[in-house]
Amino acid sequence: MLELPAEMWRRVKSGPLWKSLFRHGYPDSRKNQSLAVFTNVFLHLHPVKVRRHALAIPYTWCMGGLSFFLFLVLTLTGTLLMFYYRPTTDLAYADIKDLETVVVFGQILRNMHRWAGHGMVITVFLHMVRVFYTGSYKPPREFNWVVGTLLFVLTLVLSYTGYLLPWDQLAFWAVTVGYNIAQAAPFVGNEFAFVLFGGFQLGANALLRFYVLHVVALPLATGFLIAIHFWRIRKDGGISGPL
Amino acid sequence: MTTPRGPQPFSGQEKRLRLLAFVRQDSVVRVDKRVEDTAMVWPHLLVIEFIAAMLWFIGLFIISAAFNAPLQDHSTPDCTPNPSKAPWYLLNLQELLLHMDKGLAGVIVPTVWIVFMMAIPYIDRSREGVGIYFTSPNGKRIAYFAAAYATALTFSLILLDKLLKDHGYIQFASDNFPGGKQLFPDYIIPITTMIVLSAALVLLVKIIFHGNTREWMIAVWTGFVCVYLVLTIVGTSMRGPGMDMYAPWALPSTHQCFAP
Repeated sequence: MLELPAEMWRRVKSGPLWKSLFRHGYPDSRKNQSLAVFTNVFLHLHPVKVRRHALAIPYTWCMGGLSFFLFLVLTLTGTLLMFYYRPTTDLAYADIKDLETVVVFGQILRNMHRWAGHGMVITVFLHMVRVFYTGSYKPPREFNWVVGTLLFVLTLVLSYTGYLLPWDQLAFWAVTVGYNIAQAAPFVGNEFAFVLFGGFQLGANALLRFYVLHVVALPLATGFLIAIHFWRIRKDGGISGPL
Repeated sequence: MTTPRGPQPFSGQEKRLRLLAFVRQDSVVRVDKRVEDTAMVWPHLLVIEFIAAMLWFIGLFIISAAFNAPLQDHSTPDCTPNPSKAPWYLLNLQELLLHMDKGLAGVIVPTVWIVFMMAIPYIDRSREGVGIYFTSPNGKRIAYFAAAYATALTFSLILLDKLLKDHGYIQFASDNFPGGKQLFPDYIIPITTMIVLSAALVLLVKIIFHGNTREWMIAVWTGFVCVYLVLTIVGTSMRGPGMDMYAPWALPSTHQCFAP
């Protein structure tokens, strides 16, 4: 009974379309397992082999990988949210309300974006703590630690810029606290606050600037640094482990 | 003219050899990876990553189904909630604002700390203990010590500041300190406290635990993590209206519209 589907499957796998997609057989041999990793654009971030030490979950707690995973979740949910959100002072709040009440699955979409954002702050912080305590910043990984520190700062700024977008009381006043801090920067406080917030008080300009920073500039910068971060892990000898 | 002996470079080879000389031997990272010590990424690492990602996704989905993201009323510039708080991960800075100058707490201290963090690997250069949590049992003891030191001191300093302010410290400073209520209370005392207590921690680790560079770095880092967490907890769950201090279980709700 299963002969027909089996034959069809065999034909698909020996056909030109399949072969153009996958250039290796089923990964049950060392050769095919290696090919599966380095001929796949998503998997080739990995080496073909890793030290067994790196597989121990209590060593990394998967925090770096999960931070990246949350970044992907945030990118996806954020893109979907952009379909429904307009960053102007008269529409922003109503759009969020609509997301909660009118858009199908809008509420859970927003919830996932929000909690993943908080989650990413936590995972990035825990990842940093792990990297520090295992001495993984030591040579030759010094520069990657610097990149990681910048990624931590970017994560906070990404989360903070997103905080303003619902344009509700919580957002407005939380960001006002930040505005007052920015203004208190020595020597250039007022100028800095003016450039960042687009005025001397929180208003339409601040909302638009935070939106652009949140959905374009900062994700691009973060993606750029993540690429360098991953690339450096490989170039610096893979995940750290006892010498 | 005599022809040199041995194999001759073919045309263009000399140029290539010279280019190779740019890649210095010590710039190549040597990886101590023995064959028996390794595992194939497919399937051993990928299966862990896949399960971790799925568990995380399911967890995120459950949390998102159970708890709605907060949404308050439309923003109103004339209606200030009391207290107005930053997002929780910045509440540590907001808490710090209460104890020193705004620019110092909100800009200078975090900037100095971030620069210091980036400088850590350039100060602690030895490769000793890479891949081992806390490097050594001594490192673990130092981490515990630094955690207790930083947590106790941060809580104590916050309480001391509250106590002094409750007893008219600001007025006293305005009347008696040079520079009034700003120079000493906002700048000199906090800066001195932060520098002296950090230096004291390093010194204590060197004296009690005979700590090397990696070990005093563990102390400073642990101290930072604990200060960061204590400030976040106090800022989140112990600051009520007027940013006054309350016990976490007696924290009054926020006044949503506070007329100044």
